Amino acid sequence: MSEKNLSISLDREDRVMSLENEKIAIQVKDWNLYYGKKQALNNITMDVPEHRVTAFIGPSGCGKSTLLRCFNRMNDLIDIVKVDGEMTLHGDDMYAKNMDVASLRRRVGMVFQKPNPFPKSIYENVCYGLRLQGITDKNTLDESVEWALKGAGLWDEVKDRLDENALGMSGGQQQRLCIARAIAIKPEVLLLDEPTSALDPISTLAIEELIFELKKDFTILIVTHNMQQAARVSDYTAFMYMGDLIEYTDTDSLFTNPQVKRTEDYITGRYG
Amino acid sequence: MERTEFKSHISAQYNRNLEDLFNQVLEMGGLVEDQLSNTIEAIKCENKSLAKEVKQLDKIVNKEEMEIDHLCARVLARQQPTASDLRLIVSAIRIAVDLERIGDEVVNASKLAIKMAKVQDIPCDTLPGFKSLMEMINIDFEMLKKVLTSFAQLDLAGLSDAVDDEQHVTEIKNKALAEIQTSLNNTEELAEYIMQMIYSIRAAERISAHIVNIAESIVYLVKGRDVRNMNSEKLSDFLEKENQE
Repeated sequence: MSEKNLSISLDREDRVMSLENEKIAIQVKDWNLYYGKKQALNNITMDVPEHRVTAFIGPSGCGKSTLLRCFNRMNDLIDIVKVDGEMTLHGDDMYAKNMDVASLRRRVGMVFQKPNPFPKSIYENVCYGLRLQGITDKNTLDESVEWALKGAGLWDEVKDRLDENALGMSGGQQQRLCIARAIAIKPEVLLLDEPTSALDPISTLAIEELIFELKKDFTILIVTHNMQQAARVSDYTAFMYMGDLIEYTDTDSLFTNPQVKRTEDYITGRYG
Repeated sequence: MERTEFKSHISAQYNRNLEDLFNQVLEMGGLVEDQLSNTIEAIKCENKSLAKEVKQLDKIVNKEEMEIDHLCARVLARQQPTASDLRLIVSAIRIAVDLERIGDEVVNASKLAIKMAKVQDIPCDTLPGFKSLMEMINIDFEMLKKVLTSFAQLDLAGLSDAVDDEQHVTEIKNKALAEIQTSLNNTEELAEYIMQMIYSIRAAERISAHIVNIAESIVYLVKGRDVRNMNSEKLSDFLEKENQE
């Protein structure tokens, strides 16, 4: 019997992820950023895939947080920062003159290293963004708060104490509350800047599990110093060094067979 | 890729663990080499005690495999290796499995010496297939030396020879079995010994296949390419190209 006539096919689906097969959420082209005269990002070009987790790793000062902050124009707040190049979110020029920064930030939410809940009730923290948008209907707010807290894996723990002050929660809970607050307004993209570096290992795992769940609804970009975390949670990983994007590929390839020696030296902890 | 890369981690403890792993795999390989060379002598001279030594060595080989496994598990749990470090761990586990199997097969092959030592009036070298068997085990021995050198130096240069040698071993096996088949009609009284000869020939052939597995693990370690789905022709071509670069 020839191979063709066998009922078992030898063709198996290729499970390797590839950027070529992804829908792209954010496109970055020839992106440069300067703090005054000092250039901090050099000619970054990359496509960030939709509904995937993209991790940025690299030593301190490599520009990963700076790049992350470009995605919701947080760097606008620093006077000496100048940028050039192209950056688009689903085709919209993020740095266009007529781009309303507040509306961009509604589309691109952010969670920071240290949990920063407002000194308000759990409920008010989550619906803060919605109230800013002018939503006052109690039912709409209730539904959104429940949805966001469930999305952040926090609902069961806090549903009976929504009126309590958020500052009374544990660090891990506070960080998940910040994630709930960020997703309540249903952004397209979620930026996470070292979201677990201030948390204990168990809270860290809870957040990582949450990231895995959230990517179904959001495009997630995460900056982390913890390489194992990048390996655990991300689909794609970008390694940056001194403002350059050195290597950017699917996480499996980057952590098992990096193509650039500098990447290899960094992720294996060798003297480069 | 250079061996020194595995010694250049910031963590000296990590360097030591990976160096230990290299050395332990090479030590295990050295023991299997001893097994093979003892088997050659044992069969040639129908030396029963040398054949028993082969079996004794196998116990140490089995222990080495466990120790390599434990060391790998420890590094995985404590140091979370990535990239070439991770590939070293994966390759070391695989190579240890193949070396352990080779050890078993060498023991199987050496049983011929034990059997023939019991019968003074039938010299081993008069059995059909004897010459082929000796040739096969000698090639196995040379193959193993080549792949272990390749592992020690992280250099693929010797591997294409090993892949070609395996083909050669298979050809010799086929020739030997054909020779045995034609001799069966007029050697009924030797049936018992010829059976053992067939087992030994089969073992010698399996050894060469395991050595090629080791070669494939080394390719994975050095190049990050999984070449296990390649047939020997493709693998030879691949190695030739790699060695040219």
